[in-house]
Amino acid sequence: MTNRRDFLKLSALAVAATSGMPGFLARAATQAGGTKTLVVVQLTGGNDGLNTLIPYSNGAYYAARPNIAIPKKDVLTVTPDLGMHPALRPLMKLWDDGHLAWMENVGYPNPNRSHFASMAIWHTADPAQAQADGWIGRIAEKIGDPFCASNLGAATPQALQASEFSLPSIDSVDNFQLKLPGGMETPFQSLLNSPRSGEAAYLTRATRQMLKNTARVQENVRKYKAGATYPDTKFASQLRDAARLIAAGVGQRVIYVSLGGFDTHAGQRAEQDGLLGTLAGGLSAFQADLERQGLAKDVIVMGFSEFGRRVAENGSAGTDHGKGSVMFAFGQGVKGGVHGSSPDLEDLSEGDIKYRQDFRGVYAEALTRWLNLDARGILGGTFTGPRWIA
Amino acid sequence: MPLTPLTRPLTAEDAAHFLRRTAFGATDEQIRALVGQKAQDVARAALAFDQSVAPGNPFDPMQGATPGAALQLGRGAWLYELAYGPHPLREKLALTWSNHFVIATDKVRNVPAVVDYLNLLRRHAATRSFERFTLEVAQSPAMLRYLDNDQNRKGKPNENFSRELLELFTTGIGPYTENDVREGARALTGWSYQGGRGNKQYLEQPRFMYQPQQHDDGKKTYLGQSGALKGEDIVRIATSQPATATFVSRKLHRAFLADTPDDAAIRSSAETWTRTKGDVMAVLTELLASEAFYASRSRIIRSPIEFLVGGIRTLGQPKIDARSLLNLAGTAGRMGQVLLEPDTVKGWDGGREWINDTTLLLRMQVAAALTMGSKAPNLDTPPSLLALTGQERPAGAVLLSSLKGRQRTYLSLISPEFQLA
Repeated sequence: MTNRRDFLKLSALAVAATSGMPGFLARAATQAGGTKTLVVVQLTGGNDGLNTLIPYSNGAYYAARPNIAIPKKDVLTVTPDLGMHPALRPLMKLWDDGHLAWMENVGYPNPNRSHFASMAIWHTADPAQAQADGWIGRIAEKIGDPFCASNLGAATPQALQASEFSLPSIDSVDNFQLKLPGGMETPFQSLLNSPRSGEAAYLTRATRQMLKNTARVQENVRKYKAGATYPDTKFASQLRDAARLIAAGVGQRVIYVSLGGFDTHAGQRAEQDGLLGTLAGGLSAFQADLERQGLAKDVIVMGFSEFGRRVAENGSAGTDHGKGSVMFAFGQGVKGGVHGSSPDLEDLSEGDIKYRQDFRGVYAEALTRWLNLDARGILGGTFTGPRWIA
Repeated sequence: MPLTPLTRPLTAEDAAHFLRRTAFGATDEQIRALVGQKAQDVARAALAFDQSVAPGNPFDPMQGATPGAALQLGRGAWLYELAYGPHPLREKLALTWSNHFVIATDKVRNVPAVVDYLNLLRRHAATRSFERFTLEVAQSPAMLRYLDNDQNRKGKPNENFSRELLELFTTGIGPYTENDVREGARALTGWSYQGGRGNKQYLEQPRFMYQPQQHDDGKKTYLGQSGALKGEDIVRIATSQPATATFVSRKLHRAFLADTPDDAAIRSSAETWTRTKGDVMAVLTELLASEAFYASRSRIIRSPIEFLVGGIRTLGQPKIDARSLLNLAGTAGRMGQVLLEPDTVKGWDGGREWINDTTLLLRMQVAAALTMGSKAPNLDTPPSLLALTGQERPAGAVLLSSLKGRQRTYLSLISPEFQLA
């Protein structure tokens, strides 16, 4: 086991690592000072928005989906036209309190039905697909701190790619620490100090950043004690780690969590119903935890998927890739309600819901009115959207 | 213009480089055996593999008590073959193809389907016909299930496979329209399988089945060709597109040359691909004996499996008990690479995406287990720095040389140089 002194020694070493990025840390100190956190939830695979926020008063919805529509009697009513999937019941309290927002018909121009192209567009906030770095990577560059945003999970999504560095992925906070065998600290430092170029230099930089990040987390996470019981799912345990990082106060402004499996081409009801249950169970525990910790006023959650699905079900009791869909957000800082009109099922684009609100407008609201950052610089343009921050 | 062949006899660093790229790494003895040989002979010999496997594989997925257990055993069996098998290049290619023609065992739960699929990837590892390979993939129960073509019926099309055939398996995004995706799906209707459906039948052998009554035999137009096209026609047309030559050649360059491959070199391979009508063996023979291959050092970040298997092979294939091997397969998963289960149908992006704080920590733990653990092999005569890093004088050579066998090997395994191939 490495002790605390060793950590400090290693993190001192890591300071030298940043010499490759001149001025980087200096900017960090002045701009990273915000206290608000944005948690981004990615629903991977293309969540079916129509069976998430259901236009239960619309006969066209039931006509298009004879096998997989959510019966009106099961819908959790939120407006005279729309209701939530029954598996989302754990989020109803947030709705009743006016802290849950739904953004309707969200998408972008020239929609792409490829998972990867569309996901890349959401990650880079660039429908032209010219950008390689992600919108959260650009946030981190703006703030100037390679630890102000992190992904919970094994692989770093493109949204968190920055040109100069890679933002951390934390699979489990407990295991997020370095244990070098005894006597290896000094040789390890010397090895990292040897000059390198190309990918070897990149790996050296990544290793040094890891030493710094792990030290920062381990020094602080012991402050946390869970304020709620989380369901026994990987998704919920990642949200619990998100709460720990926030409670530890290690300066995380954006935390990224994913839930996969939404590509429901066949047998959709069984699959999506279960996933929405996992989603709502994890998120409601997370919110309860934040409230107990007294952190709820500083944290909001925003959820998206790379696209919605075809209005009409296919021959396999599933749905194929579509276009416009819903986003959601919640937290005490969120203005609850449905932002945007019910989807128009009479005016479709190749069988899909047309987008009426650009997702970059939704991002812009979080950037300017929650994180207090210059959205224009990060998104590469001015986008207006629903006013979903309270 | 074909790639320029390497003319010099292989140096020690050349030989180490070749084995790091084509065999996950090797011992000093295996490296020495290639020194002084001609690049072309070395490439041909490595590609002349048959279908023989490692004797004594401790894992048999058909013995699994549940689908989940069986699939775990299947991963263990593959890791064993990767680490101890007689044909590492065949396994490297199968791994590469498993990241091209992606299926995933979270959806394909039938064990014979998965076993057959891996054997299909091995059989076609250096295929003489990419079209034939693609056709067999398209008709395999594993792929029919994974991309839902078994649900693709006349009047009730399911576009999933048709879309990915173009986007991910042949041309890549660009040279086709949404209409081609729809028309392709129509032509592919009727391809399904029988047997092995449902959780209880997880050990039952499924078989490809053509259902003529489910096939849409109307006229279609696909990538500019019209007629009463069938599934075979779709595969033929898609695989023979010029874009396919470039798109799949790029994948081979990603696997063997660099994480950020050179466009001009890819064009050369694509020309050979087009000239030989998708003869992957011809493309690889040229590629693995080229100047470009030997000039491209330390430009690939090893994937978790390559890191693990590279460690085991470089250490001379020490015996690892079955339980530990299964744990290692699980660790590869925590490092982002569950065998036969990429996160999405696009496969692992690889390169720098393998690297983050968590995966770096795990790599360090694995290195410690391989060199410092109670079951670690004897390292009194450790592998040379050349075998470990691919370089005779790597960064930190003086420091590493001053350490004892165990510590030197541990530190080498966690060095940036060992993470690269």
